[in-house]
Amino acid sequence: MAKAAESSGEPGTTSPRPLMRDLKAVGKKFMHVLYPRKSNTLLRDWDLWGPLILCVTLALMLQRSSVDSEKDGGPQFAEVFVIVWFGAVTITLNSKLLGGNISFFQSLCVLGYCILPLTVAMLVCRLVLLAEQGPINFMVRLFVVIVMFTWSIVASTAFLADSQPPNRKALAIYPVFLFYFVISWMILTFTPQ
Amino acid sequence: MLQQDSNDDTEDVSLFDAEEETTNRPKKSKIRPCACCIRIDRADFRIGSFVDNTNTSSQTDFDSKFRHPVASFFHLFFRVSAIVVYLLCELFSSSFIACMVTIILLLSCDFWAVKNVTGRLMVGLRWWNHIDEDGKSHWVFESRKDSAQESKTVSEAESRIFWLGLIACPVLWVIFAFSALFSFRVKWLAVVIMGVVLQGANLYGYIRCKVGSRKNLTNMATSYLGKQLLRQNTGDDQTS
Repeated sequence: MAKAAESSGEPGTTSPRPLMRDLKAVGKKFMHVLYPRKSNTLLRDWDLWGPLILCVTLALMLQRSSVDSEKDGGPQFAEVFVIVWFGAVTITLNSKLLGGNISFFQSLCVLGYCILPLTVAMLVCRLVLLAEQGPINFMVRLFVVIVMFTWSIVASTAFLADSQPPNRKALAIYPVFLFYFVISWMILTFTPQ
Repeated sequence: MLQQDSNDDTEDVSLFDAEEETTNRPKKSKIRPCACCIRIDRADFRIGSFVDNTNTSSQTDFDSKFRHPVASFFHLFFRVSAIVVYLLCELFSSSFIACMVTIILLLSCDFWAVKNVTGRLMVGLRWWNHIDEDGKSHWVFESRKDSAQESKTVSEAESRIFWLGLIACPVLWVIFAFSALFSFRVKWLAVVIMGVVLQGANLYGYIRCKVGSRKNLTNMATSYLGKQLLRQNTGDDQTS
């Protein structure tokens, strides 16, 4: 699960250090997202640990520090989770219905890992928000978010577009665009109080 | 271009004489010439075996109670502490976030540990997903075959602990899901559903390993139900 099988092992061998193997696989995929090239690694050995880590990090950073301990950010945390996972599942179903030949978990893996640039954007925005508020502050954040959003789209398109028939590429990419746009919107409109 | 998109991915199962529970059955150890390669049969089953390099040296007392005490401990520790934290979070800390993150962390550690370590060590089963060059995904379920050295690779106590922990916890999470739904504590629903999915996935995977192919599973289920019905009917005949 999962997520069903999250950690793919090599068939026929039992690695004596499964933890190191899995951590290295996750790290390698992060590198692939940062420098997107058309390679099969993200697709072939999928795992969902990276998306989980990114989702939790993003949800934690999107917390508002409220004075009132009653609503201490619970709904927002669950909100981010729901948006990310439900959105990713919807996109995957959409691409499968359009005739793509990518499996369910591979697609989730790619979409989840390509949230990395936006998580970095969130980090940068939080740091920028420590300075004084103002239009310059907003422009800086806007610029950062736009750059990272484009990076996410490029990275995920590099991996996902090949699996679609050529006349359906735009239809399959459009929901990905929307997905990352919603996340970027949440990041951009975040204010810490 | 018509794509042959198979929704149910090809499932490969390997099955051995995994008779570990009953002691009356005579032990049939299959001696295979090549113990560590996967051969693809043209039939439905894909026979695979694996040699576990992490096994300790052969024990003289092969029915020893706990071969892997650390694995047994961690198998139960993560699951039970996730449930305990969920139940007691209101008492421990007022921060919903901290509880949620803790439970998510524990559930993830538990999923990883059970899938990669404890299943292999305690009951000799493993399952994973393999994507070949064509992009088709295969789910592989394997069970360890009895090697020639030790006639019994799984200890009873560990097997019992394993299956108990594996079955009881997802059931509890399902109960929690219903209770969260019906008592409108919806903010917990995300975590509870995650618990159900992760632990249910492990449960499903290991049951598939243990039982064999899906056909076997349905056959087993129908024969079990049939036996129950028969027992009920004969019971009724006797009492009436």
